[in-house]
This record gives sequence, C-alpha cells and structure tokens, in this order.
Amino acid sequence: MNIYVCVKQVPDTETKIKLAGDSSGIDTTGIKWIMSSYDELAVEEALRLKEKNAGSLVTVISAGPARVVDTIRTALAMGADNGIHIELPESADNNFAAKSLAGALKKEAKVDIVFFGKEALDDGTAQTAQLTGEYLGLPSATVILGIEYSATTLKCKREIEGGSYEMVEMPFPCIIAAQKGLNDPRYASLPNIMKAKKKEIKMLKAADVGASDADQKLRYKNFQLPPPKQAGKKISGDAPAQAKELVRLLHEEAKVI
Amino acid sequence: MTWQTFVFLAVASAAFGYSGYRLAILVRLMKAQTGKGPAVDKIPERIQTAIVNVLGQKAVLSKKGAGLMHAIIFWGFLIITLGTLEQFVSTIYNQWNFEFIGEAAYGAFAFAQDVSTFLVLVAVLFAVFRRQVLRPVGLGQSHDANIVLTFTGSLMVAILLMNAFFILGHQPTYASSLVISNLISSAFAGLDLSQDTAANFSTFFKWIHMLIVLGFAVYIPSSKHLHVIAAGPNTFLRKLEREKGMKPINFEDETVTQYGAAKISDFSWKDNLDLYSCTECGRCQDLCPAFNTQKPLSPKMLIVDLKENLYRNKAALLAGKLDEVTPAIDINITEDVIWACTSCRACEIACPVFIEHTDKIYDIRRNLVMMESKFPAEVQAVFKNMETNASPWAFSPSDRAQWAEGLNVKTMAEDSSVDILLWVGCAGSYDDRNKKVLRSFVSLLKKAEIKFAILGTEEQCTGDAARRIGNEYLFQTLAKANVETLNRYNVKKVVTACPHCFNTIKNEYKDFGGNYEVFHHSQFLARLIQEGKLKPTKGPDQTITFHDSCYMGRWNNVYEQPRSVLGSLPGVNLVEMKKNHDQAMCCGAGGGRMWMEEHTGKRINDTRTEMALETNASVVAASCPFCITMLSDGMKTKEMQDKVKVVDIAELLDQATT
Repeated sequence: MNIYVCVKQVPDTETKIKLAGDSSGIDTTGIKWIMSSYDELAVEEALRLKEKNAGSLVTVISAGPARVVDTIRTALAMGADNGIHIELPESADNNFAAKSLAGALKKEAKVDIVFFGKEALDDGTAQTAQLTGEYLGLPSATVILGIEYSATTLKCKREIEGGSYEMVEMPFPCIIAAQKGLNDPRYASLPNIMKAKKKEIKMLKAADVGASDADQKLRYKNFQLPPPKQAGKKISGDAPAQAKELVRLLHEEAKVI
Repeated sequence: MTWQTFVFLAVASAAFGYSGYRLAILVRLMKAQTGKGPAVDKIPERIQTAIVNVLGQKAVLSKKGAGLMHAIIFWGFLIITLGTLEQFVSTIYNQWNFEFIGEAAYGAFAFAQDVSTFLVLVAVLFAVFRRQVLRPVGLGQSHDANIVLTFTGSLMVAILLMNAFFILGHQPTYASSLVISNLISSAFAGLDLSQDTAANFSTFFKWIHMLIVLGFAVYIPSSKHLHVIAAGPNTFLRKLEREKGMKPINFEDETVTQYGAAKISDFSWKDNLDLYSCTECGRCQDLCPAFNTQKPLSPKMLIVDLKENLYRNKAALLAGKLDEVTPAIDINITEDVIWACTSCRACEIACPVFIEHTDKIYDIRRNLVMMESKFPAEVQAVFKNMETNASPWAFSPSDRAQWAEGLNVKTMAEDSSVDILLWVGCAGSYDDRNKKVLRSFVSLLKKAEIKFAILGTEEQCTGDAARRIGNEYLFQTLAKANVETLNRYNVKKVVTACPHCFNTIKNEYKDFGGNYEVFHHSQFLARLIQEGKLKPTKGPDQTITFHDSCYMGRWNNVYEQPRSVLGSLPGVNLVEMKKNHDQAMCCGAGGGRMWMEEHTGKRINDTRTEMALETNASVVAASCPFCITMLSDGMKTKEMQDKVKVVDIAELLDQATT
C-alpha cells in the first residue's frame, strides 16, 4: 500500500504565546515546535497499517516554513519511510496548505490512503483534511476513533456530537482525520531516530505543486491575546442566598443568562 | 608409597580435573560476553579492600549473627585447609607430614586445627538452625544450601573422628594439643579397641574427609557455593568508590548498534563474576523497598535468574552464536521486575560480595527504552516534556525562573561574577511545594551573604530521571546542553537542594566535560553554620526525624551534614527511624519511579511514612524534593498531614535564623 500522512508543526502546548511587534502574528522566537498531537495519531495509524501490509510505504508530507522539516524527521523516526516538504510562508492558511498537499499527492504514482489529524493544536480549524479530500476528489471521514480495514473498503467509527458515534464506510483511496483515542502513538526507538537522520526528504515549492499565494483565502489583520484570567469569585452566605447571588452575577456580570 | 597413594592420586586428579574443566567453562563464558567491563586500576587499593573484606570479613560481619557465623566458617576453613593439605600430601607419601616444623609449632598447629574444626561445626549447626528453624525470609529454602551444609558438617565430624581414633591408634606426643579430639577419644576408650583397629578407623575417617573435600571440589562450580572461588576476585575487582555515575554510551560510535542489554551476552565479564559470586544470602532482598512492598523485584532473584539465563545460553555463548542467545527479559525477569527498581542501591550496599545489581537493571532498561520503545505508558509524556521543555513536568521553559520573582535573585546572564551557582532543578522551579524550599534556601544564602546566581531560563533538566529510566540518548542531549551552559559561564562551584541534580552534576557530568565542585545544600548549610555565618537562635522545640535521601546517602555517603544542620537548631530532639543511614528505606521516587504509577503491592511511600510515624516525631525533615513529595503524600494517605509536617532542612533552618 502507498500510505500518506500529512502533519503540521505547531508550538508546544506549554509555549507562552507572545505577539509579534506589529500584531501581524505570533512572535516565533524561542518557541519549541512539536508535531500536532492529533497528527501523531495519524502517523501511528499509518505505521500500524503498514505493519499489517507487507511491502507498504509510509510517506510523510508537511507544508510550511523550513522549520517543519524537523517534524517530518520526527515522523520518520517513528518509522515512516519518506518525507516530502512543501515550502509555504509562515502565514499560509488551511486552503493554501490543502491545495499544496493535494498538489503534492497528485504527483505521486499511487495513493491508497491519506491520514491527517482531525485538527491542528494551534489554530484548531479542522479544515485541512476535508479540503485536501475535496481537491483530490476523494472521500474523507473526520474525527475517527477506530478503523476496520478490508481489502477494498474501510469502516470508520466517527465521533459525533452528544457522545454518540456513527459508522462510515468508504472505498480506498480515501482520507482519514484521526481523533484522540484512535491509538497510542509510539515513542521512536533510537535506531529509528538514527536512521531517520539519513532518510531523504523531497523538497518542493508551492509552484511545484500548483499552488500560489492566490490560494490564501484568509488574510489576518490583527492578533490579540485573550484577556488575562481573572481571579475566581467565592460566593458566601447560606444556600438560597448563594443561589440568588450566582444568578445575579451570571445575569449582570457574565451576561450569560 | 602404598595402594592409598595410587587410589588418592587417581580420585583427586579426576575430581580436580573435572572441577577445573567446569571452572574453565565459567571463564570462557566471561570471555564470551560482549559488554565492556570496568578497567582494573588502583591495584594497591584493590589489594587492601580484598584483605579487609575477604580475609578480614568486614562486609560479611556488617550483619550480626549470620556474619559472625560466616566469618568463623571462613577463618576456620583457612586453618583447616592447611590440615587437609597435610592429609593429601601424607596420603601420597606418608613421610610428608608437617611435623618438620618442630614439636611445639606442630602442637600449636594441631591445636588450631582442632579448635577450628569444632568452631566450624558449631557455626554449621547454627547455620542449619537458622535455615530450618529461624527461616529468615531473605534466605528462602535452598536445596543447594542444605547439601553444602551437610557436606561441611560431615567434614568437621570426619576430622574430629579421624583425630580421636588417631590418638587411640598412634598415641602422638601432641595428643593433648588436640583438645576436642582428645575428649572424644576418651569417650571411645571404653570400646577397648586395639591400636591397629583404632589406627584403621582413623585412616577410614581420613578418607571420608578427603573424599568429601574432593566431592566438594566437583560440586562447587555448578552450585551457589561457587562464591568461595568467585567472591574473592569480585571483591578485588569491585567498584572502589561509593559514588558512581552510570556508564555513558558513545552514540558517535557507529559500530555500536545495540544499546543496553537485550540478552545475557550484552553484559560484561564483570557482570558474570557478579553472578558467580552470589551465594543467595538475601541481604539485598531484605533491604529492597520494592521487594518489601510486594513488587515482583527481588535483587537476589534478579541475580539468580540472570545466572540461570547465562547457564541456559551456555552452548550458544561458547559457540559464539550470539543470535541464538535468548532475551534477558524472560519468564523470571519480566518487564515489571525491571521497572520496579527505585535505584536506591540498598541492595548494593547490603551485598557482602559487592555485586552491582542496579547497573544490570539499567542496562536492561536501556535496551527496553532505546531499542524497543517499551516502558510504562505514563513515561512517554515525561520523555516528551524533557525533549521539548527540558523538564519532566509540562511547564514552559520561559517560566523556569518564576519561582524567584520578588526575591531579587540574579541570573548568570545578568551577573556571572559570583562565588557559587545555585542549581535550582525542575522541582525547585516548577513544583509549588519545592519552590518554597528554594525560597527558604535563597533566604539563607542571603543571610549568610553568599554571592550567588542562578541560570534562570538557561537551566535545563539534568536528565537524571531519563538516564535512570534508560533513555541515555535523551539524558546526553540534556547533559551536553547543561555542560555547555555551565562551561560558558566558567562555573566552578555549584550548590543544589536536589540530590538527583547533585549526583548527576557531580558524578556524571564529568564524562561530558563538566568538572565542578558540587555541594548539596545540606553540606553547604552545615558549613555555613560551622563557620558561624548562620546562627540558629529560635528553636523549633520539636521532635524531628530525618529521612535519608538515597542519592545523598547511599549514592554519595552524605549522612551527617543534614543531621548536623538539624542538630544545630535550638531545642530539637532528633530521633532516628528504625531504618536510617545506609539502611534507610527509599521514599519510592528514585530511578524514575517518581513518574511511574505504582500498581502492585503496598505503596513504598506509605511504608516509609509509617516508619516516620513510629518515631512519634512531629516533623519529618528531608533534603530532597522527591522525598518531600512522597512523604507528604504518605502523610495525606494516613490523614496525618495536619499533625506531622514534612519539611526540608532549609525551611527549618530559615525559620530558626534571623
């Protein structure tokens, strides 16, 4: 099988986000970059599928600035075979990324399945998997918790609102976006880390995959940090008085009821 | 020359020949090992330790009762073996006895033989009593031990009977020197044996004795009694210093493709000698915090099981077919056994033959983690935190110096012209409880007018936990980064309130180019008090017990300084727990266990907390962030957190000084 995984590099979840001086984006100096954790699930699922199908190859693709090569290496260290880096500007949006990823996938000889994480840890828009599917004309299923593979189709367990699940059946080739719970991603073994350093990563430009600035659909004007967290309020008095005060606060201060 | 000469030479050659053949196999197994053994240096010190601990039995005698029993058997056998030698040579040629040394000297020789034989017999009877009646848990039931004791006891009885009948049969001039045998012979006087008959009986028992000795020679190489041959060399080759760093792996060396021990063949020749030396006395197991809380690990069984694995793979090892050697993790040594170790080193301190148990566990962990990515699931987040944020906890590196806000503590980047660097550690930086300890320690440094600075956001985790868990690669990444930072600021002296940081920076960073004079805050504070720079005046007026941290105590031999800090506090009544100093029980957090769940048996920290509560102290003092966490948790479990406080020595001293 020819298995593909699209991964995004995001700031570590412990990062203290600071804005760039002109508020055009975040200040990336000093940020520790990691693979978005949903994408780790995607890589793991791809590797498990490969292990079940001898002779399969797993290719990792990431679209973004030069630094994302490190994240491709992380996936290679987990056990992926090849890497493709599509160089995009820091500000590229989901559509630009999806168009580029689809373009890169179209250049591949044969694509059986493409894994994504269900959303990125940074912007959390949950768009890229479906958009890529659309550009490729492939069926896609998102927020996937479990997959049963058969020779020509796969059945996916999909999480939906209200704590329920739905089952989706799709033919190969298709797109899957992984949800937490699908698997437990592995920790790269040292021999694989060493091997990953020597694996080749194909470098592509946006133009090579038929994408350009014109694919950028979102233009950011101004970034703002959320207001700092306020200290909690403790309501005192007996239970009826507390309830009354709570209702008043929710109504007058929080304005939620 | 008689028929006896020829019979003896034939039997002895066969026995010693076979024994030598078996021993040669053991040596070949040592040579077959692929792991790198230690360098054999400092010969004079090695000779000294061998004299003190083998001939002097020092380490053996550290355990009362059984230690004395062993020493008597050992010293007795040294003397008795001279007598056995005389029997051998005089059997080969009857003129060759030791009487040429003179009548008086030979009388003394005979006296020593006789008394030793009797004392060994008494000691052996005590050993039988201990094994069969007292039955200490550590010893277990051993078929092997029963055979050895039967051999040894019979040997002594044979010697006494041989001598008793010799006195009746030959009436030697030195008969009165054989005090015990002489008494026995007088008991036989009523039998009215002719001299010839008595002499024949003596010869009979001499043969019994010699045949048992030869049988012993055949038996030793394949039994736990092999320690009589291996323990001496193992003591000579022991790790001389108490302080030890783990062996670094050279990741630059591309010919190395196996990290850690996947199989018994990945261990070193010295590890084999450790296995040969174990006589299953159980002292390691008696002190092991894992074993004593029903975990699957017993350091004794680890050694026994590794030896079993070694012997099981003997054919493949000797044939050089290393790919046929079976894995180190097997039905006996499961992964749970390997993860149960807290690296407290109680086993190593207890071992009278200087076996290094923990290194074998680390070697197996290294393989599990780096080669197979197998470790308790909760550890993965710890590794990832260390990789991205240089801390086992998930906090931003940019917040590392937040604990010191408002304290006016300089960073090295701001001012590096200081006397000493304060190494804060991850617990001091991020753990709310331990931040208070650091704030107290800073307060003390200021009171004593010490010029110090911290690295602030440039400090990274030392990597201790990664290394103990087996992730040497991650450890080295952190170690190299820290050494680079410390050397960039030309740091000479370091003080830290964390024993794990202390041990790593002091004993392990030198392998990566980091050489510093490192102090634990207990050492530093004790000195400041001694120099009069800190004067405790306000007494806590409390009964305090001190919990030894493994990484200060057993790892670095620091027991007295924290006690001297506590002793300097006015009105303090310092009481010891039943297990203290090098016998102290681990809190359960070492060896990376801080970040692993404890699923099996009783919790180690609860067990140690109970020992602290038994002292009726109102304060439990510690000098390690992890001990404080574990014991505080223990107090909560026991619902004693309001009655008994768990505090760091620095907090107590800060309150006592102005």
